[in-house]
Amino acid sequence: MTIDNIIKIRNVSFTYPDAKEPAINNVTFDIERGSWTSIIGHNGSGKSTIIRLINGLLDAGENANSKIEVDGIRLTQKTVWDIRDRVGVVFQNPDNQFVGATVADDVAFGLENRGVSRLEMMKIVPKAIAAVGMSEYADSEPGSLSGGQKQRVAIAGIIAIKPKIIILDEATSMLDPDGRSQVLQIVQQMKDKYGLTVIAITHDIDETALADQVLVMNDGQIVTQGKPESVFKKTKLLNELGLTVPFVQQVKKDLQSNAINIPDTINSEKELINYLCQLNSKK
Amino acid sequence: MNKILIGRYIAGDSIVYKMDPRGKLVATILFIFVIFLANNPATYAILTIFSLVAVAATKLKGKVFWDGVKPIIWLILFTSLLQLFFTVGGKVYWQWMMLAVSSYGIINAIYIFIRFTLIVLISTVMTVTTMPLEIADAIEWLLTPLKLFKVPVDKIALVMSIALRFVPTLFDQTFKIMNAQRARGADFNNGGLITRAKAITPLLVPLFISSLETAIDLATAMESRGYRGDQGRTRYRILQWSLYDLINLVYFIILVILLLIFRTH
Repeated sequence: MTIDNIIKIRNVSFTYPDAKEPAINNVTFDIERGSWTSIIGHNGSGKSTIIRLINGLLDAGENANSKIEVDGIRLTQKTVWDIRDRVGVVFQNPDNQFVGATVADDVAFGLENRGVSRLEMMKIVPKAIAAVGMSEYADSEPGSLSGGQKQRVAIAGIIAIKPKIIILDEATSMLDPDGRSQVLQIVQQMKDKYGLTVIAITHDIDETALADQVLVMNDGQIVTQGKPESVFKKTKLLNELGLTVPFVQQVKKDLQSNAINIPDTINSEKELINYLCQLNSKK
Repeated sequence: MNKILIGRYIAGDSIVYKMDPRGKLVATILFIFVIFLANNPATYAILTIFSLVAVAATKLKGKVFWDGVKPIIWLILFTSLLQLFFTVGGKVYWQWMMLAVSSYGIINAIYIFIRFTLIVLISTVMTVTTMPLEIADAIEWLLTPLKLFKVPVDKIALVMSIALRFVPTLFDQTFKIMNAQRARGADFNNGGLITRAKAITPLLVPLFISSLETAIDLATAMESRGYRGDQGRTRYRILQWSLYDLINLVYFIILVILLLIFRTH
């Protein structure tokens, strides 16, 4: 059985109009349907640029060798709106993406843009709001919501248009720890419920624990990619790029270098603590 | 500073709140014209009674309406005094140079006073019972005929609603910047007019830049959520006429009819 890749990126380059160096330099990668992919990299590594290319907010230009394909549709001027029907993006700043005057209005915005009838909207909107647990705030104005709640509304707005892919563009970076975990939890639920593919661009290395695949970007290129545990073994490379390895991975590695062998299957703090407790008792 | 109210809307649940903002807006505008139908004590009395009933129907405290009149009470009094001293005719009670108090003057002054006050009262009834967003929707509806002349009414409406939506956000940003400047020793509350004006400059520049950033972010978000101008857009929030608007309409028509009957021809 072949792997079903929902996003295929081939030899894509992009240079901002007034820049000398390309922001994206000949990048090729695939994203499997239904997977969670984290893209990490320091500021200016090109991680935000790549997602703006995926939904056509930036135009890489047409070129025989390169292509961006989403859900079997090749991105061109003509198909950009079809692709935007399939890709929802949650941006970084909760305030600057809240278009509607109230929660319900904001969730309806994407539907209004797609010409969905009002009758249909009256059914979809409350459901989408309920899905992110914001029902009691349906008529609230954005001013009375926390950052995390606004991001949940943004997710509801995306769920409402039934996309295939949800992209988090550092969507949790401006939130407090509670808001962050709530938002990630909701995304996880939505992913499971609707079979979504998630792409999360993040600074927060701990967030990558949720990922099936990690892409590490630097200077517009993909430096390494793979399962989180294999990527985080490359401590030296990550440190060179100015990225820190998640705390658990760091502890694991240091223990290993002190001849305490930790199996590869252990990837969370809880697992590690359990394992270490048992390690003592076995001896 | 989380709950900054825009406009003067006060939450409530009386009959006036249930009326459609379009009806209220139109009635308020027409009222300003209808008020000129009054030209004798009887018609002014009718106007006053009808207005006070409308005020009472809001079930809000009198202070709300006094707050509406207060800011322009001096303007109203000044205009009335001008009428009082400069209107000539009728019996003259007092005279000095060009100034004279005549019977016509007194009556005109009272009429002007009533007219002004009633207009303020009625527009207060509308603004305290209608959310700014509803007013924006009502204005959009009023502008709809302009579509014939290719005026982008839908876009104007979206701009109005986004502008209203971002007022609290801009306030938040302003307070953040003010606090940041204060932490570094800026003083916004002391000094003369010029000193204070100068203190505002380091506030405006970052505010201006941050609102540009907000605008760019918002445009990106709107595009990625499928906004492509007005073509094929539907509306989630719509205004619907109800029985309450019939009350509004009938009430207004009765007022006009009474005025037409009792005015001096």
